[in-house]
Amino acid sequence: MTMMKTMKAIVVGAALLAAGAATAQAPSGDANRGRERVQMCQGCHGIAGWRTAFPEIYHVPKLAGQHAQYLAAALAAYKSGARSHPSMRAIAATLTEQEMADLAAYYAQASNAQPSTPAPKK
Amino acid sequence: MTMTFDKISLVAAIAGATLIAAPAGAADINAGAAKAKEVCAACHGMDGNSPQPDYPKLAGQYPDFLAKALRDYKSGARKNPVMQGFAAALSRQDIDNLSAYYASQPAAVATRR
Repeated sequence: MTMMKTMKAIVVGAALLAAGAATAQAPSGDANRGRERVQMCQGCHGIAGWRTAFPEIYHVPKLAGQHAQYLAAALAAYKSGARSHPSMRAIAATLTEQEMADLAAYYAQASNAQPSTPAPKK
Repeated sequence: MTMTFDKISLVAAIAGATLIAAPAGAADINAGAAKAKEVCAACHGMDGNSPQPDYPKLAGQYPDFLAKALRDYKSGARKNPVMQGFAAALSRQDIDNLSAYYASQPAAVATRR
């Protein structure tokens, strides 16, 4: 009986360890560190109504309040080439996995951050 | 005479530009809602405020960005096995309708500095 209990504890412990290892694969993001790097994003993503100019014209997506996990995956996909916007590929190529996680964490909680720069008058 | 030719080419140029700029068909938000219920809502939520961290929130996103994402999934320019499957089954009009529908939902995303 005691043996059985010990076995159970070992199995549960192993399962917990495995779960921990699985979640530990992606670095956890630090929103404050992300904020320090956000200048590279603001020129497009910080301006309400901003549009791309090349290669197609459309609004650059709103990021504040988006899921961090999705944002980090988007940056990784630009870096790997699975997503192909030229400027996003160039920017993502300079980022480490940790920096991507930090930026993602920043934008995920940025709904209450400073309002966007108003769109320039045309 | 020269004036007349100039005017004719101007009118022709404007007519041509209007044709190019004209959208394939106006987006139908109600049709978008029906399609969203059928195809998208299981993952992205009916209101576009996806509860799952790996699926993006769509509510209040720019419609032209949403449409570009769907077109790119459909063409394979953007690679995601799940989205490619769904987008492949959508027509150009479905894409415009869905994009207009999710963009019209109470915003889950915003522009911030």
